[in-house]
Amino acid sequence: MTTPASTVQARDLTMTFGRTRALDGVSFELVPGVTGLLGPNGAGKTTLLRVLATVSAPDAGSVLTLGLDPRRTDQRLDLRGRLGYMPQEPGFHAHFTAFEFVDYVAILKELHQRRARHEEVRRVLELVGLDAVRRKKIKALSGGMRRRVALAQALLGDPDLLILDEPTAGLDPEQRLRFRELVGQLGEGRTVLLSTHQTEDVVALCQQVMMLHLGKLRFTGTPLELAGLAQGHVWHSHKRDPGALGAWRTGTGQHRNIGNPPAGADLLEPTLEDGYLLLLGGDQFEEVAA
Amino acid sequence: MGGVDAAGAWHADGEVLGAYSDGRLDAAGRWSVEAHLTSCAACRLQARALVDPARLRRLRAALIEAVDVPRAGVVERLLVRLGVADHTVRVLAATPALRGSWLLAVATTLAFAVLAAWVSRGADATMWLLCVAPLLPLAGIAVAYGPGIDPTYEIGLAAPLGSFRLLLLRAATVLGTSTLLAAAASLMLPRLGWGAAGWLLPSLGLTACSLALATTIEPLRAFGITAGAWVVAVAVTVAPPPPSSVLFSAAGQVAFATLALLAAVVMMVRRGRFEADRGFDTTPRFAARRLR
Repeated sequence: MTTPASTVQARDLTMTFGRTRALDGVSFELVPGVTGLLGPNGAGKTTLLRVLATVSAPDAGSVLTLGLDPRRTDQRLDLRGRLGYMPQEPGFHAHFTAFEFVDYVAILKELHQRRARHEEVRRVLELVGLDAVRRKKIKALSGGMRRRVALAQALLGDPDLLILDEPTAGLDPEQRLRFRELVGQLGEGRTVLLSTHQTEDVVALCQQVMMLHLGKLRFTGTPLELAGLAQGHVWHSHKRDPGALGAWRTGTGQHRNIGNPPAGADLLEPTLEDGYLLLLGGDQFEEVAA
Repeated sequence: MGGVDAAGAWHADGEVLGAYSDGRLDAAGRWSVEAHLTSCAACRLQARALVDPARLRRLRAALIEAVDVPRAGVVERLLVRLGVADHTVRVLAATPALRGSWLLAVATTLAFAVLAAWVSRGADATMWLLCVAPLLPLAGIAVAYGPGIDPTYEIGLAAPLGSFRLLLLRAATVLGTSTLLAAAASLMLPRLGWGAAGWLLPSLGLTACSLALATTIEPLRAFGITAGAWVVAVAVTVAPPPPSSVLFSAAGQVAFATLALLAAVVMMVRRGRFEADRGFDTTPRFAARRLR
């Protein structure tokens, strides 16, 4: 059964590229708020986001977004008018200024009335803090600023669903902080799905988290629940514990171990990252996720 | 117009300020009131209360629009003057064929064809231009739209504007600019005559044929196949001496005009297929061509 508040309902999404199964029977629901999509490289995150953004079609399965079925042409076009999409590697017409580029995408989004469109372009550029450089050519902007231009175009038309593919990749800590502030605000009253490698982003921003690994959805829940998976599986020791699934030396000189602890181990409070690493760790921990 | 307060200071009366706030004063009246408002806080306060906030927002938006929109490029301004809608012009501005480097490349190619004509000065003088000119729009459109070609292809797929409309707009731009340049090159040939315009209908026919083909296969491949077919046709039919080809005969011209019309019909019939192919479509036939 679906909850009335869900904005995306995906059922058994499957997609293959040659021998690679990028999505393997993925089902989930999204509700308003910020949901983080975690997973290592090649997990299928970008493929899933492209399906939700109506850029790609799955081989099998269905998705209902904002009550619309993207398989139907009229509903797909309607849906495209209500979603904002920031690809992982957004391309730019580099000879355009930031204003001209966002204006161009606004036209692709069929905002044709000139003055209203320009007002909207100014609004989104101001929202991402690029008002001062709107007349600069894209090729003259830094990588961080370009990502903000890409975010600005996704915000055009105040979309009900915002799909962001690794929006914080390549940003310095200060830029990432600003990004979090902005995305946090955007998540109030709309659905935001963002993929990331950064567990700190999920902790800072997300009310919900999904984890994808090798095309399968391995976890859905709250960040607290993901961290809770590692309860009783994180301990510290003076030396790397050979029985640990993974371990690293922390700043205190102690080793933080993840896995099945030995008897009498000095257990630690787990973080979301511990839960994530544990899920990635191996088949022996699958029962933990179940 | 106004009155003097207890301190001896002059103030505009409410009726004048109301007329000013509603935009009912003539220019001289507006300037007088504005000159006074700059130095009178009490009248500013009174005027502020009289202004309709919606009108103020409209005026502010109009002011910002007038002073803050980046100046468009020469070609964009020209197209707007010719009556093309500004949003269409912005879309066209993203077409490589409107950029200086592309126009220069096309002009250089045509210049070599004209130069060859002047060097030979024989009966084959126009042949280089006739053979080369139809290839130019094909090359231009091939690099105007598609995955790996258009930097905003993926963003465009997630937007509601139709992909086929975008391709047609860009194709029209490329065809327009290359036709203008080829026409200019024709006028520079040593022998002028209708024969020098023999490239025009093949150019239209091949472009329309490529666009029709693009409703079935990737645009880049469609344009490649059509260009290859043209090169083969030229190589097979151009027969010396003196060099001539059935492609540029009266029968050939009629054939290309017919081809253009037929291709236009195919395009119109199949454009829905092109849209469905780009983006969320579960037809297995198109599964191999999606983004990955």
